[in-house]
Amino acid sequence: MPRSAVVCACAVLAAAGALAEPASAQQSRAGTAAQSAASPIAGTIVVAMPQFPALPIPTLMEGAAAHTANFDLADQLFLRLATPGPSLATAGDRGFEPGLAQRWTRRDSLTLVFDLDPRARWHDGVPVTAKDVVFAFARARDPQISPRLARPLRWVRDVSAEGERRVIVRFTRAYAEQLFDATFHVHPLPAHLLASLAPGDVAGSPFAAAPVGNGPYRWVRAVPGQTVELAANPAFHLGRPGIGRVIFRIATSPDARLNMLLSGEADALDNVIPPLANLGRIAARPELRLVPTPSPSVGYFLFNQRDRADRTRPHPILGDVNVRRALVLALDRQSMARAAYGPYAEVPAGPMSQLLWIRHLAGRAPAANPAEARRLLAASGWRDADGDGTLEKDGRPLALGVQLPSTSLLRRQMAVQAQEQLRRIGVRLDVVTLDGPVWIQRRNAGDFDIDFSSASQDPTPSGLLQSWSCAGIGGSNVAGYCSPRTDSLINAAIVSRADPSPLWREAIRQIAADAPAAFLYAPTAVYAVHRRFEGVRIRPESGWRDLWRWSVR
Amino acid sequence: MRCSTRAWARRETAGGAAVRRRLGGVWRRPGGRIGLVLLSAVAAAVLLGPLVLPDPLAQPDILGGANLPPSAAHPFGTDPLSRDVLARVVAGGRVSLLVAGLAVLLASTLGTLVGLVAGYAGGRVDAVLMRLVDGVLALPRIFVVLLLLAAWERVPLAALVLVIGATGWLAPSRLVRAEVLRLRSADFVRAAEALGCGPGRVIFRHLLPNVLGPLVVATTLAVGDVILLEAGLSFLGLGIQPPTPSWGGMILEAKDVMVTAPWSSLFPGLAVMLTVVAANLLGDALQHDDAQA
Amino acid sequence: MGRWLAGRVLQALLTLAIATAAIFWLMRAAPGDPLARLAGERQVSAEEVAALRARYGLDRPVSAQFAAFLEGAVRGDLGVSISHHRPVGDLIAERLPASLLLGGTVLLVNFTVGLLLGMRQALRRGRAADTALGMLSLAGYAMPSFWVGLLLAWLVGVEWRLLPAAGMRDPLLPLDAGALERARDVAAHLVLPALTLVIVSIAAPMRHQRAALLEALAQPFVRTARAKGLAARTVVWRHAWRPALFPILTLFGLWLPLFVTGSVFVESVFAWPGIGALAAEAVSARDYPLLMGTALLAAVGVVTGTLVADVAYALLDPRVGET
Repeated sequence: MPRSAVVCACAVLAAAGALAEPASAQQSRAGTAAQSAASPIAGTIVVAMPQFPALPIPTLMEGAAAHTANFDLADQLFLRLATPGPSLATAGDRGFEPGLAQRWTRRDSLTLVFDLDPRARWHDGVPVTAKDVVFAFARARDPQISPRLARPLRWVRDVSAEGERRVIVRFTRAYAEQLFDATFHVHPLPAHLLASLAPGDVAGSPFAAAPVGNGPYRWVRAVPGQTVELAANPAFHLGRPGIGRVIFRIATSPDARLNMLLSGEADALDNVIPPLANLGRIAARPELRLVPTPSPSVGYFLFNQRDRADRTRPHPILGDVNVRRALVLALDRQSMARAAYGPYAEVPAGPMSQLLWIRHLAGRAPAANPAEARRLLAASGWRDADGDGTLEKDGRPLALGVQLPSTSLLRRQMAVQAQEQLRRIGVRLDVVTLDGPVWIQRRNAGDFDIDFSSASQDPTPSGLLQSWSCAGIGGSNVAGYCSPRTDSLINAAIVSRADPSPLWREAIRQIAADAPAAFLYAPTAVYAVHRRFEGVRIRPESGWRDLWRWSVR
Repeated sequence: MRCSTRAWARRETAGGAAVRRRLGGVWRRPGGRIGLVLLSAVAAAVLLGPLVLPDPLAQPDILGGANLPPSAAHPFGTDPLSRDVLARVVAGGRVSLLVAGLAVLLASTLGTLVGLVAGYAGGRVDAVLMRLVDGVLALPRIFVVLLLLAAWERVPLAALVLVIGATGWLAPSRLVRAEVLRLRSADFVRAAEALGCGPGRVIFRHLLPNVLGPLVVATTLAVGDVILLEAGLSFLGLGIQPPTPSWGGMILEAKDVMVTAPWSSLFPGLAVMLTVVAANLLGDALQHDDAQA
Repeated sequence: MGRWLAGRVLQALLTLAIATAAIFWLMRAAPGDPLARLAGERQVSAEEVAALRARYGLDRPVSAQFAAFLEGAVRGDLGVSISHHRPVGDLIAERLPASLLLGGTVLLVNFTVGLLLGMRQALRRGRAADTALGMLSLAGYAMPSFWVGLLLAWLVGVEWRLLPAAGMRDPLLPLDAGALERARDVAAHLVLPALTLVIVSIAAPMRHQRAALLEALAQPFVRTARAKGLAARTVVWRHAWRPALFPILTLFGLWLPLFVTGSVFVESVFAWPGIGALAAEAVSARDYPLLMGTALLAAVGVVTGTLVADVAYALLDPRVGET
């Protein structure tokens, strides 16, 4: 009896499996009839992705949609006017590479003129015109629609079209990063498809389900939560893509993504480390190649300078700059970075990821010096009166908590290392792992002693203003760091028309002297790609964007 | 006529004597003996080990001493932060066993009480109690945990025990109730009631010994559940905070080197396995004897 | 029986309603909100936060939000997910088949193979088979599910390449592939996650079955039957299986919602697109609409599971129905 029941049930399940294809996948097979014909280019690459890109539409990637999966997919479908070159220099007008714009000139210190490439076309065949650029900028500059983009575009006065293919961008002030701001933040959108839709309606429209772009790859279909398939656009005006099909496979767990790569179910993966152990596993596979590239991340212990209970008063322990400097000196940041990333991380001299061109202007980060740390603490009045190993002052022990999100095993391990290192100079560090939203809530409310932060930066150093200036207090500057000298240096560097390097150098030095944080690691992102793909180039600020330039054997 | 246990000589009744008989059977059975010995060994190691083993928190040399395979100096190897795994397994055992033991005790006691009362009383009492169980089961445990622990930055052990116990009594209550339902109309229960035994007597003298079967199974399995639950809570930052070792936390922290340095997760995993097997062997030995020797 | 059933179903619905309200308030009361996630990676301004708060209706009082939710839920509209920007109903409908497939398979194996093995253990109590089966199943039970999953994915998927290491389907399967081929593809992807879940859970039905049968076999009537010459197995099949089913049914009722709503760890390790992973993401993003949708689904599962178990008790043993 039980045996036949088992057989019957298995048959039912098998049938269920066959039918378990979600209806929506069948509906979104747009253009499948022409699929094989439309992609005469051979080759398929399967890229493992950590999240499903539900909304890869420029100007709509706000709030929860502002994540790398959406950005990566948007970069395949949509093109910018121009992109920073390999040196990632964002200041000045040199070094940028053409995108939708074929060439650009400067009319005067407040005006840039872009001439669009006449060969550029939307995936439905309609040519890209200046109207599309103007339309996209109008949406992007509106803080109601796109607050995330409106901010960096606040010095754009207006964007207008001059004929079919010429765009004029006027600024309210003269500063070095005008070209960067005019090109990096906004991808032009097809006005002929979107102008009739209200901004709030785009997210649920058929356009969002199958976006029409102008980039090297066009949308084919998506199985929600599982895969996104793109086909090469052979008429791409910058060149013919070398790979015919790109399939993004979604797996939220990094273990699952690694397993897919190692078993051959995926061809390419970003951020292979941490954990460092993965390097060995991939290196053992001769068919896989490692491709290091600068990562936009930077991690640091952020010291809260305000009292947790009363934000108007300084923090009883961390308000003292000597204590902060001592903490920085006591940490062996080199060994912490090496233990976590091996050779694939630098210890930054300030809040600078490997993406920022300013990061080496003030030299390297100093080495650990526990003796000096002890001296600084003693000079500030901290003594171990009761011999319990922890320093005290006025009856208060030198005990601090470092909070971090529980999902980050890397930060957890680093915090435990730091705990041990600080114990040796008499500081008691408690590691507090918190559920993600709770961590962020406490962080924003300033309810912490030390926050183990990890920032993901844009290539421009002007982003430092949000977290490290007095004006940022109440916003991203959750620790209450306020140094008028740093503010004036950064502001001057941003608007300077000459080479801003000396100003940035001084700003970095000031920040180092004020020790608002212990900057721990600026990693190198290590990608892994199957060796059958050649000409592999990874863009630091946007990993897969140059995928179309690769070729497959 | 008085309600008395002596009147019933059958196996299904006679509360105190039946329980004593079962307990005696534990030592007689080889499985029970092994289980007891194993558990005692684990307890001894956990209590006495820290006296002779190195500091479980020390990180002597992270760059050179991390992820070392087992050797004379480190019988269980070192973990990714160069800490001695043997010392951590033993130290972690204290926390894991304490939490597991207390939480399981709390959960089983509460669950048994509720199940007995609900099953025997029936009617409205049963309905209310069981719908309460349904309601609490329906609540996503993660939110109950988050709320209860939101007040504390560092989770005190008592809070963890309370939380796990508070969510763990539901299953035993339903299991016990099911058995009570089955037995409620059995002859021996009817007879006891006819003799004037009050509900308390019936429940504790007559029903309880006979629901021990599924209860023991659920309790001994719960030991494993709780230890692993602690690992799951660590995943969300709500378990035992670092650097205090716990078996679940160790397995989690060694997840990334599972393939390249398996000893960091293998040994705490074996410790959990040993404890669970021992507890369940003990539980098996508490089962009724087959009439056929 | 009919009246009892009607009353019982009514109770179930009432419990569901109260649980829904409790879950709603619980979610709002827990620390953190959906907007907190923003500030994680990218730097945000106060205006951004305020604008988004208004957009998601979070600036209204909780009771107003609950009323809005109820009004929508009654119509079948569970709202729009904050992180996915799509209707919650669609998201759940997409993922439910995958969860049911995995959960159903695991339940099936557990309650057929598991029960048979438990029976074998009881009949051969004290012998090598009993001990071996017991220790093996317990060893599996004591292992964390993500560990077993990672181990299987590595060994079978990566090292030996016998089965796929992750996902539910092969994305390279041609679109015109037949139903049989697609079923085979899904079945191949199903093996490892299902095996993982079976390994870590089969000890429970096995042990419950073993214990229940041992209790049943200890009854005097069994002694009588065996004295009459009946083999132990016959006695079991004829008399002992009924009472032994009570704890099994209870377990089934308790596990039904668990396996339907998915196992988070296994779904994540194998990238199985089920509800469990969706719900876990919703929790860490505090995506309230999606959370309510998945929690509601789980609540329905729980209430249904216990209802099914209660009905089964009554069917199995008519005396149970009397109060």
